[in-house]
Amino acid sequence: MSAPILRVENVAKRFVTATGTVEALAETSIEVREGEFVAVIGPSGCGKSTLFNIIGGLDSADGGRVLVEGKPIAGSHRDIGMVFQEESTFPWRTVVENVAFPLEVAGMGRRAREEKAMRFVRLVGLDGFERRYPAELSGGMRQRTALARTLCAEPRILLMDEPFAALDEQTRMLLGEKLIEICQALKQTTLLITHNLSEAVQLSDRVLVMSFRPGRIKRTVAIDLPRPRTSDVIASERFASYLGTIWEDLKAEAAKGLAALETARRAPAGR
Amino acid sequence: MAAPGVSARRDAALIRVLTLAVLVALWEALGQTRLVFGEALPPASAVAAAVAREIASLSFYRHLAVTLGEVAGGFLLGALPGVAFGLAMGARRVLGAAADPYVAALATTPKIVFLPIVMLAVGIGPGSKVALGAISAFFPVAIAAASGMRAIPPVFVRVGRAFNLRGGQMVRMIYLPALALPIVTGLRLGLGVCIVGVLLGELKLASVGLGFLARDYYDQYDFASLYAVVAIVFALASLANGAMSRLARRAEAHR
Ligand SMILES: Nc1ncnc2c1ncn2[C@@H]1O[C@H](COP(=O)(O)OP(=O)(O)O)[C@@H](O)[C@H]1O
Ligand SMILES: [Mg+2]
Repeated sequence: MSAPILRVENVAKRFVTATGTVEALAETSIEVREGEFVAVIGPSGCGKSTLFNIIGGLDSADGGRVLVEGKPIAGSHRDIGMVFQEESTFPWRTVVENVAFPLEVAGMGRRAREEKAMRFVRLVGLDGFERRYPAELSGGMRQRTALARTLCAEPRILLMDEPFAALDEQTRMLLGEKLIEICQALKQTTLLITHNLSEAVQLSDRVLVMSFRPGRIKRTVAIDLPRPRTSDVIASERFASYLGTIWEDLKAEAAKGLAALETARRAPAGR
Repeated sequence: MAAPGVSARRDAALIRVLTLAVLVALWEALGQTRLVFGEALPPASAVAAAVAREIASLSFYRHLAVTLGEVAGGFLLGALPGVAFGLAMGARRVLGAAADPYVAALATTPKIVFLPIVMLAVGIGPGSKVALGAISAFFPVAIAAASGMRAIPPVFVRVGRAFNLRGGQMVRMIYLPALALPIVTGLRLGLGVCIVGVLLGELKLASVGLGFLARDYYDQYDFASLYAVVAIVFALASLANGAMSRLARRAEAHR
């Protein structure tokens, strides 16, 4: 098997706040091979976004390192393309101008970049909407615009933090299907961070289950479902059995997460 | 057949014109008969004639030029530092928190109270009007710039960092477009209060300018000419506001 294109080695992160120290990540290690689709799943607050920010170079780790093709990286790296959980399309740019953003940053001329951006607009199925502004689109279309913008920079690794979290279940299923299609077409290496079980299983070759605070990879589940995949896969028995297997591990962590949330809620009442 | 929106707009325009016509007719009647206000309400026709007289007279343009110069100077001297200070307030939490109460208190103070101090500092000439206009323009611009800066979603900056934008690109491609609307809105408010500040200053104490001209006609009991100056100032202020609104609409069009 080929050497991993992305390696996260023993990454650790603490946040020191007024109320104390939060150990967000401890000794987290991940390997992603070229062309692979890997999902990291964990309950809210387990350190997923922290991991996302460290891999993407927007935050620094307190220990460990991130390597692309065996070379340690610092700061944002052009081989890693990030898609954010929040609404991140620029409201003052049309769809195609949003998608062409990284090309404009790189200094490409207007004609060339619009032509190239249109390829990615079509890829995410937004042709016909390229002259619209984000405010005129649905949440799912805006998130596809953000995805196309990131893909347009042709990163070797696509890194996403709960990109569909703000969307409704059905839109998410269809978008998941679209994402599988895109990643297969581009042979895109992808690391998807999510808290959604069926999304993780539907899309991935491997699912990594994260533990709750400190976050680390607790278990790896290889998803041996046929490709090319569609959303129909959720009807299969094996899909259900994967959900069951992962939930066994996730359940305890989710419970810890919920307990932590409830403790935090209770604290102010005691003042 | 016209679309419903178009016919509604046409109706609104018609009502507006009719209202104006009725008001002018009423004004003319009251002015001619001197039933109310006596001499203080000259008929509309007399005011129109006075407007024509002003526009045809050379000395009017001297007053106009001085006032326009004072407004322009005050606006520039107030709005530019206002934008800079507001952006700094919005970007630096500590500075924002420290300055907020002062800015809020000064913003709501009628700027005319500063006129005596300003006159002591820069004299009673046009400089004092420029200063009053600048003080007036500064606050709404600073407040709008600060709140615009605070309202930029942090994720835009993170996108910029993820795509490795250099400092200048970050300003040009993220901050400026994100701030265009709030800054134009602030500038529009700032220009309005700048005009008010300059004219108040001219009304109080000046030897030239549209405010002085109005005051002068008032002292001479030439009410038709007084109304003419008021009408001209109103028209100019409306023009300025209209231009700023168009700018704001352009900034807003795509949100
Ligand atoms: N900048 C920060 N300062 C302090 N604590 C933080 C910060 N960012 C995240 N945390 C804490 O670290 C933990 C993990 O957060 P995060 O990575 O956002 O989790 P997730 O994305 O899995 O929901 C949470 O307890 C959160 O409160
Ligand atoms: Mg998160």
